Amino acid sequence: MRWLIHLFPLPALVIYTLFVVYPIFSAFLYSLYDWNGIKRGAFVGLQNFMTLFTVEPFNEMFWNAFRHNVFYFVVEMIVQNGIAFGLAFLIYRKIRGSGFLKIAYFMPRLLSVIVIGFLWKLILNPNYGALNTVLAKIGLEEWSRPWLGDPDTALLAIILINCWFGIGFAMLIFLAGLQSIPEDLIEAARLDGATGLRMLWKMILPLCMPAITIMTIFTFIQAFEAFELVYAMQGSMGEPFYSTDTLAVYFYRMAFSSGAGDVTLGLGSALAVVLFCIVGSVSALSLYLMRKREVQH
Amino acid sequence: MKQFRFRYVASIVLAAVMVVTGCSSGGTETESGSRQGGGQQVTLSMHSWRVEDTEGYKAIIKAFEADNPHIKIDFKPFKATEYNTILNTALQSDSGPDILQLRPYAPGIALAEAGHLEPLDKVPGIFTIPKDVLAAATGKDGKVYGVPLSLNSTQFYYNKKIFEQNGLQAPKSWDELIATAKTLKEKGIVPISFGAKEGWLLSLSHGVIAPASYSGTDYLDKLLKGESDLKSAEFLQSVQRMHELIPYFPENYVGLELNDMRTLFATEKAAMFINGSFELEGIKKLNPDLPLDFFPMPTDDGKQVLTTWVDGSYAVNAKSKHKAEALKFMEFMATKKFGELFANQFKRISAVPGVSTDDPLVNKMAELSQSSATPYLMVVNFAEGKPTTKQTLENALQGMYLGKLTPEQVVEEVQKSAATWFPPFKK
Repeated sequence: MRWLIHLFPLPALVIYTLFVVYPIFSAFLYSLYDWNGIKRGAFVGLQNFMTLFTVEPFNEMFWNAFRHNVFYFVVEMIVQNGIAFGLAFLIYRKIRGSGFLKIAYFMPRLLSVIVIGFLWKLILNPNYGALNTVLAKIGLEEWSRPWLGDPDTALLAIILINCWFGIGFAMLIFLAGLQSIPEDLIEAARLDGATGLRMLWKMILPLCMPAITIMTIFTFIQAFEAFELVYAMQGSMGEPFYSTDTLAVYFYRMAFSSGAGDVTLGLGSALAVVLFCIVGSVSALSLYLMRKREVQH
Repeated sequence: MKQFRFRYVASIVLAAVMVVTGCSSGGTETESGSRQGGGQQVTLSMHSWRVEDTEGYKAIIKAFEADNPHIKIDFKPFKATEYNTILNTALQSDSGPDILQLRPYAPGIALAEAGHLEPLDKVPGIFTIPKDVLAAATGKDGKVYGVPLSLNSTQFYYNKKIFEQNGLQAPKSWDELIATAKTLKEKGIVPISFGAKEGWLLSLSHGVIAPASYSGTDYLDKLLKGESDLKSAEFLQSVQRMHELIPYFPENYVGLELNDMRTLFATEKAAMFINGSFELEGIKKLNPDLPLDFFPMPTDDGKQVLTTWVDGSYAVNAKSKHKAEALKFMEFMATKKFGELFANQFKRISAVPGVSTDDPLVNKMAELSQSSATPYLMVVNFAEGKPTTKQTLENALQGMYLGKLTPEQVVEEVQKSAATWFPPFKK
């Protein structure tokens, strides 16, 4: 009867196939048709992919959204992961109240993204929002602006909110990485005279590499699939003036955004396939490259 | 060996699952009481995107069921933004509702073109509804596919008290409108509650302001025949006027949404508010005591226009098992009785002519929509293209308000979009 054990993963496998593998293949299939969402039209081969990259305004919107995703990734890497590592390091060194801090930084994660979007929309409201009010109170009134209505600040504001939301999680991953470093290695390095920055740079960071690898890839995937917060705060148009558009929002707008009557499921599927390829290949490649640089202990 | 056997079993199971899911049509089909005709009980399913109308429809459906005791109607609304996807999926798998709410103009007509809808030309009374109203649900083959429900109108709402206190009256020309706004601004009142954060409100406001620049249907005829285009002086002026209003908008208006705009107006911090008949209920809920009135847009030749369009129709699924009964309901929707029930229930302008309600503002809108209406061009005629010309205008206007585009560039963009699909411009 021991062979029965092989049946246990079946339910999960079936669900996974049904809801993950099958949609991926069907998306690829749909991307080959001229499909307006009502009736599947003619088979058009790779035409949708051509349209996506060569026809205005689709190509402009694609690269515009792509740049935003890259920006998302860079800011999250620097701000979110940078701060998270710093915090993790402080907690690892057991400063006073580190237990409380651990919980406090993780708190935003407990809220749903929709709630966070709503909350920050209130804070950033140009009329009565807390941020502009506070700025006025402390004499920085000329700094106040319609944060989410100004294309120069809207995207950055959303990314920073996302960082605020993500810091707790990143911190926990880094903390786990730090805590897995064997004490005796650190001790040995200290005896050899390594201190401060040198210790951090030459010992702790390399030994933390597995956690950093994981977090980098997480951040990458998260940045390229950025959708919920943008949608919750700015809707499916990537407003204002496409300044907060990301590939996932662009995809949603194209494939589902109903009411407008311009749903193009074929084109949307093509974009989904491209997005899948970007995220899949970059994640796999960076996993491979970064693994090589990890130090075994 | 064990490894191999496992894979073998798994692949068979997976293949079976795929086959099963591939074949089933995922039935959301509603239970029908019994077979068609013969006075037997029949339950029709009716889908809509107006969740907020559920209560109102109860009363309307009750009135219908009283006259047609063998027909029951199951009203089932979905979230507006998900409605199209749900409906399209259901129609494609032949499990659609018997009666469905149809988006007006191009998007709804696309369903008819895909063969999902039953023509309604033979429904008694349908042609009491004016032809331009029926146009919202008329296919390119000339057949009518939906019974229009109501007209939307857009206009300038204004606060009577603020106007009176400052010795102002509803403006009769563009210059008067600007002078009115200027006076209000000097008194420290926000003249127009406006926000540029949500694109759809920009095209909506443009829909109110633009007809003043091309007063009358002559220009529209030329435009729709392709003898003029969207880069014409008339259309450019309409965009320039949108620009001219900037000093009279609230501070930080580029970051304001409908909620903010509605609140500013309802709390009497702003004197005017450009919006639709569908906002009436919302404003009144926020402030029941608001001294509210509206004025239609004054045109350059001394007339006034109210921008209107049809908001949704009801259609019959071509594959419905109870077509006869569903058509019976369509017949009911074309009657004055339905129009009155509808108008009073929802405080909206009925598509059936000559219907009045107990709300004087709605009555005034209904009257003007018969005497001096002009179509909301972007919804009625330019809601096609990928992205639609309407969306292109919205985005370009947003760009203009952010200082990134000039009015000339706005019309350039809009014309470029229309030229990709609008037949008269393609020549």
